[in-house]
Amino acid sequence: MPETLLVAPRERPATPGWLLQGEVAMCPCGCIGRRTTGSFVEKTLTGGADLLRQVMFSEDVAAGRGFLQRVDPRAKLVGLLVLLVSAGLLHSIVTLVVMYAGTVVVAAASRLPLGFFVRRVWLFIPVFTLVAALPATFSFVTPGHLVWTTWTWHGAPVGITAQGLTAVGLVVSRVAVSISLVLLLTLTTPWIKLLAALRAVGVPRVFIVVIGMAYRYIFLLLSAVIEMYEARKVRTLGMTRHDRAARQFVSATAGALFGKASTLSEEVHQAMVARGYRGDARTLEGFRLRAQDLVFAVGVLVCAALVLGGDRLLGR
Amino acid sequence: MHIPDGYLSPATCTVGYVVAVPTLAVAARKVTAVVKTRNVPMLAVFAATSFLIMMFNVPIPDGTTAHAVGGAIIAICLGPWAATIAVAVALLFQALLFGDGGVLSYGVNVVNMAIILPFVALGVYRLLAGRSPLTSGRRVVAAFVGGYVGINAAALATGIELGIQPELFTDSTGAPLYSPYHLGQAIPAMLFAHLTVAGFCEAVLTAGVLLYLQRANVTSLVPNHRGIPVTAGDAPATPARRRLSPGAVAIGFVVLMVVLSPLGLLAPGGAFGEDAASDLDLGSLGLAAVPAGLARYNSFWSHALLGDYGFADGQNPNLGYIVSAIVGIVVVGAVIFGIGKLVQVLSRRSGAASVDA
Amino acid sequence: MAADRRRRDRRPDEGQAPQHAHAPQHGPSDGPGDHAPLPADAPPDALFVCRDLTYAYLDRFPALDGVSMDLRAGERLALLGANGCGKSTLLKVLDGLVHPTGGTFHAFGHLVTEDNLEDEQFSTGFRSRVGFVFQNSDAQVFSPTVREEVGFGCLQLGMSPDETRARVDDVLALLDITTLADRAPFQLSGGQKKRVAIASVLVMNPEVLLFDEPTAALDPRTQAWLVDLIAELGAAGKSIVLATHDLDTLDTIATRCLVLSEEHRVVADGTPHDVLADRDLLLSVNLVHEHSHRHGGLLHSHPHGSGHHD
Repeated sequence: MPETLLVAPRERPATPGWLLQGEVAMCPCGCIGRRTTGSFVEKTLTGGADLLRQVMFSEDVAAGRGFLQRVDPRAKLVGLLVLLVSAGLLHSIVTLVVMYAGTVVVAAASRLPLGFFVRRVWLFIPVFTLVAALPATFSFVTPGHLVWTTWTWHGAPVGITAQGLTAVGLVVSRVAVSISLVLLLTLTTPWIKLLAALRAVGVPRVFIVVIGMAYRYIFLLLSAVIEMYEARKVRTLGMTRHDRAARQFVSATAGALFGKASTLSEEVHQAMVARGYRGDARTLEGFRLRAQDLVFAVGVLVCAALVLGGDRLLGR
Repeated sequence: MHIPDGYLSPATCTVGYVVAVPTLAVAARKVTAVVKTRNVPMLAVFAATSFLIMMFNVPIPDGTTAHAVGGAIIAICLGPWAATIAVAVALLFQALLFGDGGVLSYGVNVVNMAIILPFVALGVYRLLAGRSPLTSGRRVVAAFVGGYVGINAAALATGIELGIQPELFTDSTGAPLYSPYHLGQAIPAMLFAHLTVAGFCEAVLTAGVLLYLQRANVTSLVPNHRGIPVTAGDAPATPARRRLSPGAVAIGFVVLMVVLSPLGLLAPGGAFGEDAASDLDLGSLGLAAVPAGLARYNSFWSHALLGDYGFADGQNPNLGYIVSAIVGIVVVGAVIFGIGKLVQVLSRRSGAASVDA
Repeated sequence: MAADRRRRDRRPDEGQAPQHAHAPQHGPSDGPGDHAPLPADAPPDALFVCRDLTYAYLDRFPALDGVSMDLRAGERLALLGANGCGKSTLLKVLDGLVHPTGGTFHAFGHLVTEDNLEDEQFSTGFRSRVGFVFQNSDAQVFSPTVREEVGFGCLQLGMSPDETRARVDDVLALLDITTLADRAPFQLSGGQKKRVAIASVLVMNPEVLLFDEPTAALDPRTQAWLVDLIAELGAAGKSIVLATHDLDTLDTIATRCLVLSEEHRVVADGTPHDVLADRDLLLSVNLVHEHSHRHGGLLHSHPHGSGHHD
């Protein structure tokens, strides 16, 4: 079948000879070059892929039929803030652990995959916190009652203090509880409803529109960045050196990203103006509070009161 | 530099919000005034860009990678207020999409990375770049230094915020409730990491992007650099007409003092030459008794509102110190504002007089 | 409507009676041509009337050099020309997104200028009557979900959320994308995004629809669907202007063609049949290749190796 070609009658330069021949440099068995892990290209690419995967996963879970998914997003957001503040005010590790157990129970009730939930919480910040805070168990950071003397320094004993252990225990458990609470909110609420909940809490409409649009464009710009990095990756033979050329590539990619961002924002602006935008941000989502949401809100307040009360009792 | 939840007390987080929220409101208004309807897509797209920049891994010579924030270059391209909003939105994504930066500590993170970083970076950049053309190399160097100083200023602020936690918030046994590291440990730790590694990431990113834009798309820099020639061959720069308003100077002073005042807690003893008569170590000074004049005038003024930088009953000495600091800063800030206003009025009058003459 | 094939090469200083002034002749608050009346030679039922439009990007790259055209009610006008001849710019001028440095543009009997569009009533009226489907669907579909996107225009024009929701559902059903209503744009394919973009414009029920390269980057099935849709919309009474360099579907998609040269001027104005039959014209504006030819309705060329044109 005849194709349609509308090509300009300009002179095309002759195809270079080397392009028409095979390339002998790359041995198909892959024996040339060493595979290195941890190159900055790999890290950025995996980071980008992780982001996409995470978002897709969140949207799936948020569409489920668990306990928290059924609660109004505004109630959830306010509840989250109340519980976060409560967790911040607790003085004893025991109450924090109880709170954490509570979050796991709620996660299970909301049909969240528990393995993922626990891993997601602990694998990042709390473990890092533990490692970073370990020196704080020692008396040169946290003075107090020595529990285990490790060595002496200028005649004075130095070691792990009870206060140090308490401090580290407190901060690690507090971090774990906080992250679990935020995760409970974000995994059970679709992004658009989360935005509407932020609006209900008082964030000005302009910000909501900016946030919504930024969310949408993260992925567009991300795919542009991934393309640039993949193009670089497939052109990299051998080891990726962490040298000036590599840094220049990152700068150039960042620069190209800014250039694309600039053009994109112009185009989006024209698209918005074409449909009547005059600076007044308006959104479609509307909510109705139902009885069960009020029950939820009351439940959250009760939990917060219990936990704070229990903490006080333990503190005495 | 992101502070997750759990490291800061709710009180500190509240202070963070108290500073961040009005600043964001002001930023929204300022940005809209300049670019009108263009602000929404521009801020959205650059917030996305900042978020992605924080995800970029910059290769470091030892084979590892580190992250930059991007606030400096956005401030250079779009102005400090746009940078504030863009970075604040990016931080929101990090907090809610990733649980990285914390929800309660969002206010404090905004203050560090979305307010301190862009403003300091832009200030240093403008100071160093002067009126040089947009395509000059001097601007690239200025951007490099601006990014470096900006992120380290943010790191210093972070160190201070973390460092005051054990001073202010401990439980009954004396164990710190939140971040356990004192000022003397938190500040060096934060600064070391940023002076050596992260600072250069931000600096390289800022300078690199500026260099790229100088070559590829210099017109995008024009809006935020009014009156500055594009290339060396263009018409010479119009002389800087902007004069600092008294309000801006007063606020700048207040902010600087607020950030630096907790450092007083670091000092082990009192300031030099300020001892009360009863605290003098007479033996080491070679004196037999307190000098007569010192004894007489030392207790001359006894109507102190916050005597000894603390409350009358001596309770909560650290809190008392901070309250004294706040009162002092507000008063001095008001005086500076007053002086600035007076100077403004007088110079206007003398300007009018010279016109009449 | 027997449109003769006219070949005109307009220049800014020749031609019809100039209705504009380049220098301001009114008070300091008026811009040039703010009160220019409708040109006398405009057809009575013309929706859009352009005279001698000139525009250059960044004051350096010319995009339009003395372009004049009319759009009558119910017409389906195709703007033809090679890349860079000014088709997109002309469309943006017609939607009031870009303001020409010279010449006048009247829409629905009123002059359209940057100042006039500042007025809320005029702007609302104009924006609700003209819809633009951009070439880059990614820039046009900017809301977090499809439903929000389609409803955006109605909300901006002041419609209530309930009414908007009802209209959105109707349009989603019309374009067969109801299942995508709560999806995020990054989850959509190119063809789906194009449908959403069109939905977001149709929901405001405009009188005039502007399309910038609508069939570019679409798979064949979606292309065919789009061509049918445009024909249907034309039959329903909408006036359509589309920029394209897809000559195959021209007969179905357009009732009249305007050809723009690479020098950014109008060089032909006639029916698709007449324009396509004028080979020399098409060659001179770089719309066809030396070896292109027609089989039946298909205009095409066969690929040939390098060195052929030595």
